[in-house]
Amino acid sequence: MNIGKVISLKNTVNLLLLVGLCYFTYLMILITLQYVPIDFSAAFLAVKEEEIKLTHYQIAFFTHVYTSIFVLIFGITQFSAYVRTKFAQLHRGLGKAYVLLVLLFASPSGLIMGYYGNGGISSQISFCLLALLWFYFTLKAYTSVRKKNYTAHKNYMILSYALTLSAISLRLFKWILSNTLELPPMDMYRIVSWAGWLFNLGVALLIIKNKREPFKNIN
Amino acid sequence: MKQIFLYTTILIALLSSCNEAIKNEENKVVNEIDSIVTKVGSILPAADTTTTIVDAEVNPVGTNTVMLVQDQPDLIGFWVGYFKKKNTDDSYKKDISAGDVLYWNRENKINISLDQIADGKVKGHSVVAGNNRPFEGTIKEDETSFAFELSEPGDDKYDGKFSFVIKKDDAKLEGTWKAYKKIDIQERVYELKKSVFTYDPEQKLDYGQPFGDWENVKTTKLKDKDMIEYYGEFLKEYATATQLIYEVNASNTLLKKKDVENMKKGDLLIIRNTIYARHGYSFKNRPLRVFFDAQEWYIPVHTDITKELTDIEKQNIELLLKYEKNAKEYYDRFGRG
Repeated sequence: MNIGKVISLKNTVNLLLLVGLCYFTYLMILITLQYVPIDFSAAFLAVKEEEIKLTHYQIAFFTHVYTSIFVLIFGITQFSAYVRTKFAQLHRGLGKAYVLLVLLFASPSGLIMGYYGNGGISSQISFCLLALLWFYFTLKAYTSVRKKNYTAHKNYMILSYALTLSAISLRLFKWILSNTLELPPMDMYRIVSWAGWLFNLGVALLIIKNKREPFKNIN
Repeated sequence: MKQIFLYTTILIALLSSCNEAIKNEENKVVNEIDSIVTKVGSILPAADTTTTIVDAEVNPVGTNTVMLVQDQPDLIGFWVGYFKKKNTDDSYKKDISAGDVLYWNRENKINISLDQIADGKVKGHSVVAGNNRPFEGTIKEDETSFAFELSEPGDDKYDGKFSFVIKKDDAKLEGTWKAYKKIDIQERVYELKKSVFTYDPEQKLDYGQPFGDWENVKTTKLKDKDMIEYYGEFLKEYATATQLIYEVNASNTLLKKKDVENMKKGDLLIIRNTIYARHGYSFKNRPLRVFFDAQEWYIPVHTDITKELTDIEKQNIELLLKYEKNAKEYYDRFGRG
């Protein structure tokens, strides 16, 4: 195989991944729109009746739903070397919005929701841990870029976005499990509450470990 | 450029099927009981109100505990059993089967209620397949038996004429039924047992329904084309039921969120409808009817049981319906619920 073919294969894979990401992001937008306008009995909330009576849960839930979707969208172009070099201003702007939304809104609200998570203590621990790690990685990504430590910035952003993407992987795993093993709903939920982000974290660590193009040559 | 075109096409195709991906908009929850507390799910009309006058007289009749018939008053009460097809050469053609496991011969449990007998005249009603129909006619007594000729009013497509005999010193009713109009199954035969109906909140489901096996049924071989879709749904529904349907009683225990949140669609459906079955509800929905008819203890008594439900049951129905709706809409979709 010559170099040209390798690059073309890589481009195809990347393009496919991008199409997949866009598709699932679009599904996440549709899921978010189920909660517009604010409705305390819509979709997921139908089985969160006790929790949604609490004011702080209401605030946490809608904060999380309305901000996380933008975190997901803002992250899409951030790993593109092309955007990063040609539109540095855009990269910085989206990056700041991403960090701000995660640290001030999406992660803290996620922590509160995790405390009330379905599926008992196991999934509650999982969701709380997810929120804390998400906060930590995002904060570290921000502080390292302030210190112009770009390698650390990149690594932490890979970790942070991997956890952002757990919104998709959790639902995707759930979709796969419910259509194959047909597990009872809560058993399934306990599994995906962990698998959803641990899988992504694993992939992120692998990516960081085997970093090649385009990460190595930039900066 | 070619690539971009290709991916755009794929993307558009994917996007056009998106709403279905996150939520199942079809497949509304089957609920035949329009209870005041239930606002979720689609609610089918609950009762044929034209016949409820007869129904009001039902309970005292159903509790006539004289089982062995000797005299005319002993005849009063419920006579219960399968309303079978009359055996003709092609009667099997009406049968419905799915895979090797599921087979329904189009026979329903019927309850013939003899309500009043005086001066050779008989009044009563029958409850079968969600229909409650009155009948009137004559009784003739000889030394060994009572012979009945009874007619339904004739203003319903499925009305017809009963002729049956009850032998003295026996608890068996045997006879035939002929429809007035041309319908799918023109003639029925039956052998019914004298039965007493009492509402028992402790009643459990009998084992023996082929729930587990249906999970693996992939193909449906059907003789009746219209039923294909229906039975596809049937299998999907019942394949998801587990052991829980035998363990959880929603008539004597107030269920909590933690009791139902791990239940599959089939469990929720059966557990909720078992409440109705305990009250003697006659199911219009065929899959439910076939399932509950097979329960030894089950007697179809009412076509409307809204007023019979206890507070515990009403609350449980509301909770179960909420989770059924959620399961139907979101269980196998891309999303959390």
